[in-house]
Amino acid sequence: MKIIVAIKQVPERDARIRIDSGNKWIDLEDVEFSMNESDAYALEEALQLKEAHGGEVIVVSAGPERAGKTIREALAKGADRAIHLQSSDETELAAYDALGVARLLAASIQDEKADLVLTGLQSDDLGLGQTGVILAELLGLPHASLILKIEVAGNGLKVLRELEDGWFQHIELATPAVLTIQSGNTKLRYATLMGIKKAKTKEVRVIAVADLVASDPSLKPTAPSVVLDQVKLPHKQRSTQLLGGSPAEAAAALVEKLQFEVRVI
Amino acid sequence: MYVSTFLSLPSYGAFLVSPIVPADPGTFSIIEKVLLAVLIMLSVVLFWLRFGVVLDKILKSRRDPSFRLTHLGKRAWDFFSEVICQSKVIRQRPLPGLAHAFVFWAFLAFALVTTNHVATGFGLDLLGSRNRSGWVSIAFSDVYFGLAGLFAVACAISIAGLFVRRFFARPTWLARPDHELSYESGVIAGLIFALMATYLASLYVGSGPWAHGLWWAHTLCLLVFLPLVPHTKHLHLVLSPFTIFFSRGSFSAIPPLEGDEDFGLVAGKDLTQLVTLQAYSCVECGRCTEHCPANNTGKILNPKEVVLGLRSYLNDLGPASEEPLLGKYNSQEAVFECTTCGACEFQCPVGIEHLPIIVGLRRGATNTGAWEDDYGGKLFNALERNSNALGMSALERDKFVQKQELPIFDGSQEYCLWLGCMGGYDPRGREIISSFVEVMRHLGATFGVLRKEKCTGDPARRLGNDLVFQQLAEANLEALQQQKVKKIVSICPHCVRTIQEDWKEFGLPPEVEHHSEFLARHRAELPQSNSNEKVVFHDPCYLGRYRNVYDEPRSIASLAGSLVEAERSRERSFCCGAGGGLAFLGEEQGERVSHNRAQQLVATGATTIGAACPFCNTMFRDALAASGDNSPRLLDIAQIAANQIKAAQPAQVAASEN
Ligand code: SF4
Ligand code: SF4
Repeated sequence: MKIIVAIKQVPERDARIRIDSGNKWIDLEDVEFSMNESDAYALEEALQLKEAHGGEVIVVSAGPERAGKTIREALAKGADRAIHLQSSDETELAAYDALGVARLLAASIQDEKADLVLTGLQSDDLGLGQTGVILAELLGLPHASLILKIEVAGNGLKVLRELEDGWFQHIELATPAVLTIQSGNTKLRYATLMGIKKAKTKEVRVIAVADLVASDPSLKPTAPSVVLDQVKLPHKQRSTQLLGGSPAEAAAALVEKLQFEVRVI
Repeated sequence: MYVSTFLSLPSYGAFLVSPIVPADPGTFSIIEKVLLAVLIMLSVVLFWLRFGVVLDKILKSRRDPSFRLTHLGKRAWDFFSEVICQSKVIRQRPLPGLAHAFVFWAFLAFALVTTNHVATGFGLDLLGSRNRSGWVSIAFSDVYFGLAGLFAVACAISIAGLFVRRFFARPTWLARPDHELSYESGVIAGLIFALMATYLASLYVGSGPWAHGLWWAHTLCLLVFLPLVPHTKHLHLVLSPFTIFFSRGSFSAIPPLEGDEDFGLVAGKDLTQLVTLQAYSCVECGRCTEHCPANNTGKILNPKEVVLGLRSYLNDLGPASEEPLLGKYNSQEAVFECTTCGACEFQCPVGIEHLPIIVGLRRGATNTGAWEDDYGGKLFNALERNSNALGMSALERDKFVQKQELPIFDGSQEYCLWLGCMGGYDPRGREIISSFVEVMRHLGATFGVLRKEKCTGDPARRLGNDLVFQQLAEANLEALQQQKVKKIVSICPHCVRTIQEDWKEFGLPPEVEHHSEFLARHRAELPQSNSNEKVVFHDPCYLGRYRNVYDEPRSIASLAGSLVEAERSRERSFCCGAGGGLAFLGEEQGERVSHNRAQQLVATGATTIGAACPFCNTMFRDALAASGDNSPRLLDIAQIAANQIKAAQPAQVAASEN
């Protein structure tokens, strides 16, 4: 089975971030980057499928040069080769919306004719959750999102999809297909020294975004349908309430608040 | 014979009433001489048949690329102290140790006696025991043989005692895995006893057929003994002096990986000459196992079996094999139960370095991805993603730094206060930091913390993940260099060790010390309590055995009252169970190490337990909580010092008001 995993490099979780002077994005200086979490799970799924059924895992990532580090990490964990859709700087890709990026990705992987394309459910930075499904449309493939488990069944796949409120859906679909993967259902493997050393000899095909666009003018950024207007740091809200009364009354009040105000139970 | 000697040498007779020499066995026929020569050859050939094989395995093992024959003075001293004086053998097990030492010293004394003895068979008189003339022969005949006789007596008594111990008292750590007694040890003991007895007898009989018979008996014992040496654990007679002399030179020295194909100890081809030499030197005394906290609490890890496992591997497959080391001969599970406390390496009388072996095997498993462990994987991912072992957001550390108003290090302060994962993220660890900060402020020391600090990589290092370890070490070294840090002080012995020793592979770390060393220097400025509190101090492995710091933390712990000692303390301290990355792994097999140690500490009757490591602290806190309510107070030495300062303050205020 030939599996393509689309991965994205995002600012490290919990990194201390500042908004840049234009209020349009975060200040990238001093920020460390890592692999988008759900993409890491997508990669893990792909590697497990390969271990069980053989085949090849190819990662594709769109991003500036720094994304190379994340690509190498994926190779170290066991991907066989990579395609780096490289932007010349931090801003080149900002001109594209999810559709634009999906077009670029589709163009760079079209020739691979993969049996399965996996992406993370959504990115930790923009959180649009669209790239994967648009990619499926562009490639003309069936897709399913929020996937927790993939099994090979006959010529197709059986997948487990997470719905809301503890509900799940079992879906069968034919390959080739596109799946977007939900985090947290398997254990991620750790990168090893041996993996890193082997990764050095693996192929990373670098395609410059500009070259790709030059070869196919339809990939040029059009007026984006979604524009990022302003970014803000979340406001810290802290409200503490002391619930008085007897322990039984306090507990009853707490349960009510949790149920109807905070709505967590 | 004595009479004639006495008469012929009247001037000596005045001093030595009975000059002692072995009885003259008389002349040997040509048949006897040929027989002797054939037997010697046979004995030597039988010796070499096995020893040659062992030597070949050692020499054919991979070279130790990082080994340097430096520090000759220290090597000579270790050799003198550990081999010649048998210091380790005696110190750690005084009675049997002394018995062993006497056997060893008798062997040394017998070097000349034996040479002379064999020469006699060929009609030579090397030491002049027959024709007593000239000062050499007089010195030997009148002093040396007598001295050797004294050693022989001591040796005979000792070996008999050791025999009784092994076969009748039967301490468990001498047991083999199959619980069989080592009969070869019995045979060897019998031979040594016979060698001594025949020698002593020869001092008392006159020349004649008895002397001749004794000579042959002694000779046969010798010739049987020699080939037995390489075939049994008595190989250590030949190898251990080399093992001790060629040690890696420091405690738990983990060698750097060399080149792109080195991932640690994966297969036979990765065993280095030092490891192979050590594997063949093990004398199966079981001291390592006796002190191993894992083995003592029902884990399958047995450091002696780890070494013997390598030996069996080498015997069966040799040092070029591609067969994994972990599997049939050593279990991966066992190797990952080690807390890296170092008790084994510290104890081993023949200089075997268990930690480079155990960590080496872990590296082989982790660096290649063969170790699959949910907790381990989670830890490594946490270290990679969050750069701290607790997997928390770096923002949490920032909040703590702000809340405590810890100054940021900017080059103007004397110390960089290293928080570490425990000090930066763990609630108990933070309490220790807060107390230590109070004390530093009280003493007027200037310090600052790094804006960003990553785990030192200790758990990754000990669990054999070189990739994560290197990333962390390099990033930290760079940050420290940027801030021009000269001196680090840390509350965590694991951080101290890793920064000072393990980081060296990637750069030059700043000077670093443990807070116990800092506090001990200021002991005089800290108020002493005159309560009748009884304080027991628990030596953290990474401060004691790893760093040789025993008295400094005690001097601070004793601020709270009078010290009592646990049965196992100082260099024999028993691990808390957290080291080697184990604090982050899953539930232990068998009894928890921490519970065992906590009981040992409680048994001293102390009212306060003094700790000097945030890991020990958490382990004991949980263990004490589990054991019941009237347990002693548990305090880090920094907390003890801070409490003393607080307790003294109202008094000072009152005094100044008066
Ligand atoms: S280091 Fe400690 S836990 Fe590990 S084998 Fe040696 S004695 Fe046992
Ligand atoms: S490794 Fe050392 S301490 Fe352990 S049994 Fe062998 S010789 Fe004794």
